[in-house]
Amino acid sequence: MSDAVTPARPAWLAGRAPGPRLARHTLTLVALALLLLPLADLAVITRDPWTELARMARGLAWPAFGAVESPLSALGLTVAVALWGTLGGVVLGIPLALLFARSRLVRAGCAFVRAIHELFWALLFLQVFGLSALTALLALAIPYAGIFAKVYAEILEQAPSAPRDALPPGVGRLSRLVYTELPMAWAQLAAYTRYRFECGLRASVLLGFVGLPTLGFQLETAFREGRYPEAGALLWCFYLLIAALPWWSHRRLVPLLLAGGAFLLGPWPAVDGGLLWRFVSQDLWPAPLRAGDGAGLADWLAHIPDLAPAIGNTLLLGLLGTVGALLVALTLWPLASRHFGCGPSRLAGRGLLILLRSTPELMLAFVFLLLLGPSLLPAWLALSLHNGALIAFLAARHADALAPGMPGLSATGRYAYELLPRIYPGLLALLYYRAEVILRETAILGMLGVATLGYYIDENFQYLMFDVAFFLLLVTAGLNIAVDALSRRLRPRQVPLDDPCLR
Amino acid sequence: MRWIAACTAALALFAQGVAADTFRFTAIPDEDQSRLVERFSKVADYLEMRLDVEVEYVPVKSYGAAVTAFRNDQVQLAWFGGLSGVQARRLVPGSQALAQGAEDAEFESYVIAHRSTELEPADELPAAIEGKSFTFGAKTSTSGRLMPEHFLRQRFAAAPEEIFSRVGFSGDHSRTIALVEAGTYELGAVNYSVWEAAVEDGRVDTDKVEVIWSTPTYPDYQWTLRGDADERYGEGFTEAVRSALLDMDDPDLLASFPRSAFIPADNAMYAPIEDVAEDLGLLR
Repeated sequence: MSDAVTPARPAWLAGRAPGPRLARHTLTLVALALLLLPLADLAVITRDPWTELARMARGLAWPAFGAVESPLSALGLTVAVALWGTLGGVVLGIPLALLFARSRLVRAGCAFVRAIHELFWALLFLQVFGLSALTALLALAIPYAGIFAKVYAEILEQAPSAPRDALPPGVGRLSRLVYTELPMAWAQLAAYTRYRFECGLRASVLLGFVGLPTLGFQLETAFREGRYPEAGALLWCFYLLIAALPWWSHRRLVPLLLAGGAFLLGPWPAVDGGLLWRFVSQDLWPAPLRAGDGAGLADWLAHIPDLAPAIGNTLLLGLLGTVGALLVALTLWPLASRHFGCGPSRLAGRGLLILLRSTPELMLAFVFLLLLGPSLLPAWLALSLHNGALIAFLAARHADALAPGMPGLSATGRYAYELLPRIYPGLLALLYYRAEVILRETAILGMLGVATLGYYIDENFQYLMFDVAFFLLLVTAGLNIAVDALSRRLRPRQVPLDDPCLR
Repeated sequence: MRWIAACTAALALFAQGVAADTFRFTAIPDEDQSRLVERFSKVADYLEMRLDVEVEYVPVKSYGAAVTAFRNDQVQLAWFGGLSGVQARRLVPGSQALAQGAEDAEFESYVIAHRSTELEPADELPAAIEGKSFTFGAKTSTSGRLMPEHFLRQRFAAAPEEIFSRVGFSGDHSRTIALVEAGTYELGAVNYSVWEAAVEDGRVDTDKVEVIWSTPTYPDYQWTLRGDADERYGEGFTEAVRSALLDMDDPDLLASFPRSAFIPADNAMYAPIEDVAEDLGLLR
């Protein structure tokens, strides 16, 4: 029976080779998104957004650098927080990476800390350490430790095993790491750490949104209050910082940057043990639970926002954002690749990618909100463009490392038959990893009135109901762990990953 | 190891010592925040001169952060909104409202509408607003959310989600104005003083958006001081702070708030705000 059916199926549906399998993965994902699309609220309501958009465009075109209050110290602090936060993540992440494969507890713990957005970590630490460098560093270092543990473990696992096998029995774990694994995997580890540092810079700007004095502090205020020339100036500072990253983050400059950064981070707050204890032992737990009052706890649970639609919205936006990011990445990566276009067009393409991936999603979302009205659509577009541009940037870098082997192909031919098939496995692997990030980011688009889990978490932080916020954070983390496990299962295996940044 | 412990202890003691000497204040972010540090540093200088202690201004980004800083004793004095003040005084027993702006005894919110709604200014909220889209400001803003929601519920006996087709939280008064001007939301609730400042500066096109209703008055912004201030800064410190605030008459300093003068206030004045917040589930 099945013998009669199989030949009738087209090759891409039946094949077991990596190519058809990847095609099936992609098409299933797109089909799922299309199927669920009717559930999303995608109404377009446009009246007259042009006055406000013109003000924004003018602000970006004629930035007022003079209006910015001490831009250099804000820039310096942004870099310092990113650098020290990433370093903290590395220091915490390496020992965890060594235990990662062996301990289920470590894996679950890492998935848990990764699942909570940097902004929410910051909001938690803010309650104890106030607006201090300590809050900023912990908010970066803790989730990054979870990320580094996972990625470093995967890189070390894939390091050639010959030197390791040549060791005599009884050699300690540390010696094995230092003498056989690190030298083999060093380049990949360094490349990944470098990429994470750029993510750290973006996160460091975002931390300004909750009040830490990085670039985001003034940027958010200026943008919120409609002082666009000032916001434009700050955005340009950040774009230039990211564009110039390859030059100023040279290996030899890092110690200098670290020393300078340490100077900028002070003054350090006195850690008040009483505050910490009160927060951990009281604030985070529902009062009826602490009192052992069962009826009160039922009442407390009844006041929790309705979880089912919140989880539904979170997953829907996450899925749509992931598929959108894939489409954006497929469209945009050739713009920045050396295989296509001419010098000026590539420069413009790279500029566009920097613009899209460095502008905080919240701002992209606000522009689309003005343009398209309040619905899921602005959030979807913002997530797709931001993450799609990031994937496109990494995909272009991957493609640039390849040498085209078929001369005489047209540009579309090169794209479709030569380069895309070679970078696609990596691109898809990166997308699956990014899905986790997109899910986390749905949290910070609550401003659009999209009632995701993050919307309620943010709300309860504002109402100072930390117990509810903490409960919802636990739900979010559980959801993220489940999605991570699912995407790990779906992720195409035996994919040759030669660029560590493509995960 | 012992060295590290000794150094940490010394450092902690030193930091504590510094914290105890400096008197810190903050102000909730609500109106024009350009050159915030520069402007509020002048207020800090004025207080330093009057109180004879070192005074420092701590900038914050949200209502919640201001309340948390107050609760954790990272600031001792704060310029709060109606609701954030109530939240803070509940969390820090003994703290008291000292002064409010001359305008704050009778504060109001405006409901603004995009011209496409063809709504006219009226003494009562028109029934025609039902089914339109509506945006509040920040979720814990007294003038941008709490009181407008209270009066909407009073008028329609229904929650905003039931009255309107879509309900948003813009996060800020200036954003509410921008969103209603662009027609993204058809209606919005906004702090009257922010609206009037925006109209005066020409930052809003009144052909596109106009005020259709103003709420009854309610008490809003106030200065709140922690209850343990006398203990820490000396007998009579609370009174000294109160009189320093009430005596502030430099228009340059007052413009930061922006208020014409400060008048006495006390905790009991804010009981109506507390009741409304409890009804809406924002306080427990």
